Amino acid sequence: MRAVGTSLRLSRSSLRAHKRRFAGTFLAVFLGVSFLAGTMVMGDTLRASFDTLFTNAYSGTDVVVRSADVITVSGQGQGTREPVSTELLGKLEAVPGVAAVAPDVQGAGQLIGSDGKPVGGQGPPTLAGNWIADAGLNPYALAEGHVPAAHGQAVINRGAAKKGGLHIGDTTTLRTPDPVRVTVVGIATFGGEDGMGQTTFTGLTRADAERYLTPKAGEASTILVRAGPGVSQRQLADRVGQVLPKGIEAITGQQATNENLDMVSGRFLTLFTTLLTVFAGIALLVATFSIHNTFAIVVAQRTRENALLRALGASRRQVLGQTLAEAVAVALVASVAGLLGGIGIAAGLQALFPAVGFPFPAGSLVLGATALAVPLAVGLVVCVGSALLPAVRAGRTAPLAALRETAVDHSGASRSRAVLGGAALAAGVALTVAGAGGGRNVWLAASGAVLTVAAFVVLGPVASSYAVRALGSPLVRLRGVTGALARRNALRSPKRTAATATALMIGVTVVSLFTVFGASLKATMDQTVSRSFAGDVAISAPVRGAGGTGLSPKLAPAVAKLPEVRTAVGLGGGVATVDGGGRQLTVTDPAALSRVLDLGTVDGSLAALGGDGIVVSRTEADKHGWHPGSSIPLAFADGDRRTFTVRAVYGESGLAGSYVITRAAWAPHRVQDSDTLVAVSFRAGVGTDRGKAAVEQVARSYGNPDVQTRSEYAASSAAGVDMFLTLIYALLALAVVIALLGIANTLTLAVHERTRELGLLRAVGQTRAQLRAMVRWESVLVAAFGTVGGLGLGGFLGWALVRASDSAGTGAFAVPLVQLAVVLLVGLVAGVLAGWRPARRAAGLDVLRAIAAE
Amino acid sequence: MTAAARVVDAVKVYGGGDAEVRALDGVTAEFPAGRFTAIMGPSGSGKSTLMHCAAGLDTLSSGSAFIGGTELGALGDRQLTLLRRERIGFVFQAFNLLPTLTVAENITLPQDLAGTRADDDWVDALIDVVGLRDRLLHRPSELSGGQQQRVAVARALAGRPEVVFADEPTGNLDSRSGAEVLELLGRAVHGMGRTVVMVTHDPVAAAHADEVVFLADGRLVDRMADPTAEKVLDRLKAFDGAAGAKEVVS
Ligand SMILES: Nc1ncnc2c1ncn2[C@@H]1O[C@H](COP(=O)(O)OP(=O)(O)OP(=O)(O)O)[C@@H](O)[C@H]1O
Ligand SMILES: [Mg+2]
Repeated sequence: MRAVGTSLRLSRSSLRAHKRRFAGTFLAVFLGVSFLAGTMVMGDTLRASFDTLFTNAYSGTDVVVRSADVITVSGQGQGTREPVSTELLGKLEAVPGVAAVAPDVQGAGQLIGSDGKPVGGQGPPTLAGNWIADAGLNPYALAEGHVPAAHGQAVINRGAAKKGGLHIGDTTTLRTPDPVRVTVVGIATFGGEDGMGQTTFTGLTRADAERYLTPKAGEASTILVRAGPGVSQRQLADRVGQVLPKGIEAITGQQATNENLDMVSGRFLTLFTTLLTVFAGIALLVATFSIHNTFAIVVAQRTRENALLRALGASRRQVLGQTLAEAVAVALVASVAGLLGGIGIAAGLQALFPAVGFPFPAGSLVLGATALAVPLAVGLVVCVGSALLPAVRAGRTAPLAALRETAVDHSGASRSRAVLGGAALAAGVALTVAGAGGGRNVWLAASGAVLTVAAFVVLGPVASSYAVRALGSPLVRLRGVTGALARRNALRSPKRTAATATALMIGVTVVSLFTVFGASLKATMDQTVSRSFAGDVAISAPVRGAGGTGLSPKLAPAVAKLPEVRTAVGLGGGVATVDGGGRQLTVTDPAALSRVLDLGTVDGSLAALGGDGIVVSRTEADKHGWHPGSSIPLAFADGDRRTFTVRAVYGESGLAGSYVITRAAWAPHRVQDSDTLVAVSFRAGVGTDRGKAAVEQVARSYGNPDVQTRSEYAASSAAGVDMFLTLIYALLALAVVIALLGIANTLTLAVHERTRELGLLRAVGQTRAQLRAMVRWESVLVAAFGTVGGLGLGGFLGWALVRASDSAGTGAFAVPLVQLAVVLLVGLVAGVLAGWRPARRAAGLDVLRAIAAE
Repeated sequence: MTAAARVVDAVKVYGGGDAEVRALDGVTAEFPAGRFTAIMGPSGSGKSTLMHCAAGLDTLSSGSAFIGGTELGALGDRQLTLLRRERIGFVFQAFNLLPTLTVAENITLPQDLAGTRADDDWVDALIDVVGLRDRLLHRPSELSGGQQQRVAVARALAGRPEVVFADEPTGNLDSRSGAEVLELLGRAVHGMGRTVVMVTHDPVAAAHADEVVFLADGRLVDRMADPTAEKVLDRLKAFDGAAGAKEVVS
């Protein structure tokens, strides 16, 4: 007990005396924990907000009647369900315990704002439907004006009205995707808010909704049922279920709420929080290196002190305990501060998101026990874990070390390390190449990648001597003795230099990995467009799943009538089950398609497919062993099964998709029809500008979608990649900042350690400016080592990721030299910045005091 | 004879109020060019302070210090630094060398910092004088204490400074190594025409000098030309009696 007390007393006084030394450790833990806590609190809060949202949406609905069959295509959330017949309404009203019944005719409908631009459409849905008279069944409540009573009248939610600058009495266009003229007669609210998150809603009369949103009248997406007093949701669902025909089901409102919630959290929230957690993990991994390094240096600097303690009779445990107690103290303070910081971040983001139009619903901050406990525990484990090895080393200090002169530490570049690291590197690279190359085995490639990273870490101290020597040689030529001194200092302790640089290396590795991956993705998209798009202009619009409504199917025929246009083909989408799995179908005119898209080599004929012909891509055909003449059974969402005959197999599936059928074949199964792309080619002699202007003229009366030239189209398909990369860079910035703090911290400690040397240098004539430059250049050298290592490693892993994820083997691999050069430059500048404060502190040393320093 | 370095009415006060220490209390002294001067006195008498102020490592509270004709008080940090590396050599009691540099690099460090080329013939001759030709590529940690001090002397002389200041250069050495270093400093003055100012506690060391100045309580109390170890020891004993029970000899 007394022994522990002594350890604690010693560590307390040491912490007090060396507050500055632990500032870096504190910051690293603080930032990592803040990020993690922020992510978790944000995730909980969002989940709760969506919960409220969907609970509100179904608050008055006790039973939902819908088709039982659903076709889900991988990558699409909700799946496609056939509408139900409104003939059921009368039957349902007769069920005992039913208070109200209403058909819910829902579809995509995007309003055009007063400025001519579409309202919303960047993610959250833009919906339209019939205005339900029963206040219990309708989640929207009328706030101003009146309900739609006649053809062309619409109620819109207040959020949409604000965003689009629309007021009662205004007449505007609703894209369904056919343009429909509507007059705003009322403004609605959702659960007291302006809307269901950022979702827009337009309520029409039932007749209008049936006309514009479903292919046939007398159908509704679902039928909503409200229970009378004393009847539970479950009871009512059972009773309703009894009267329903085959293929139609009744679920409770609670179930519907949960399904929607699962969909949002499964698709979007989980992805979002996982992504953030991964980056918090990277930041914490980087922090681990920084913290370990700090403690290692502190322990090394305290060798004499610890040896004296040991000589005076302190046990190993006491010396070890002292260091660990310091780590625990720093970890506790930093983790708690980080937790508070994380809550602050979440609160800040929550306030910020709506302001920047991010599709997050509002709600109060949710602080769950897990979101508080996990970051705290992770912070403690990371900090104390990182300090463990140095602490053990402190405990092992020999009492004799007090008497020995501490020589320059050259450990770390040992032979066994070089051999072990080299072997691991060879194995890692071989595994990665094998996984990414021939076999395309993602798991093999991933384990190879992990091994390669580990090998880099192990080899760091060995590599650092060579690398710093090589990187520093231009420096010596350029900056003379200042450069030479900086290089020598960076070479002093290979282990320390490597550990400091490794933190940065990991950050830069991930940055360059994504840079390479993103550039390759863009190159692939560019290639896809330039290879398969043979037209002159393209008209595209986000479809329902992506928040838009797609293009009117009437647009392509209208454009085709222009004298400037040779061919205009619209591509729509459909779904069907093929071979047990949901598949996306391309619905178009296959004969005309080959005039605007390059389909590669076509085996068979694209003409006259009729109602039972299908063409498939070479990849799918090879997978299933199909060839022209084969029969494929397709099952549609309406329960219809039909056998199609393969008429042709084509090579290039970039834009055409994998399965193509005619509009005639799709017509019996269609829901709300829309095209995702209209590809247009001009007649000979028609310039792009003239042709584009003519097409734009026509497009204006179809909701004014974007008309893009080939290059614009290619660029816009790649725009998503840039947004994704920006997000990744922003998330990685934290890891890089932590790494730089690590460099700054190591330098500060080194400056402290070399006080006497610095004093001597100043005494024999080193100017302050020279001294500052010397420290800064050392920092730049360490940063350069980490950055160059990270670029190399990231480039290699980027290549592996591109190859491993490209199952078709058609993707491009691109090395974006300019971006990578920018990364290198940023790394070097960051090195200068990291060295700034330590350099200033070093230059501020009083010469005499420094010489006399112990 | 001109003075290579001198101080006039030098006063150095540390601290303030009750804790005030007058480390130098009106010292006027000249260190003539081409001469070897030793500074002696009891511990705490202000020897190091005097040397630091005369060499531009520290500033005086009042009075003035000169190197040649240059008044140090008028110079800023940068000018003082340049003056140190061009016109002054230093030898400290210990930790004179940078551990990362080789012996050869340590010797020419001030010139390298100045970005000028050291005079190769002169440095070559110096290396022979200090007897470290076969050690040029070694690191300081591979040398004995005496060898390290000889490298420091070579460095101090490499730029042909107007004056070399040495603060107890033999304080950490045994008598044999110490004698070698002292002989080196003597050769620098008498063989090469340099000026050396050395602080020492050791009467034997002081005997190598041309003149000894004695400090006590921050004042210059005596000077002695052509000292011998016995004469110096006698002088110090006389002090001892006067100044009370102060430790003098190490
Ligand atoms: N930085 C300082 N702050 C306060 N007092 C100081 C400082 N440096 C020296 N002193 C005081 O000034 C006086 C003279 O110190 P100095 O170092 O010049 O003595 P010294 O003669 O070199 O002694 P020694 O033989 O022990 O080296 C001493 O009383 C000392 O305590
Ligand atoms: Mg002294």
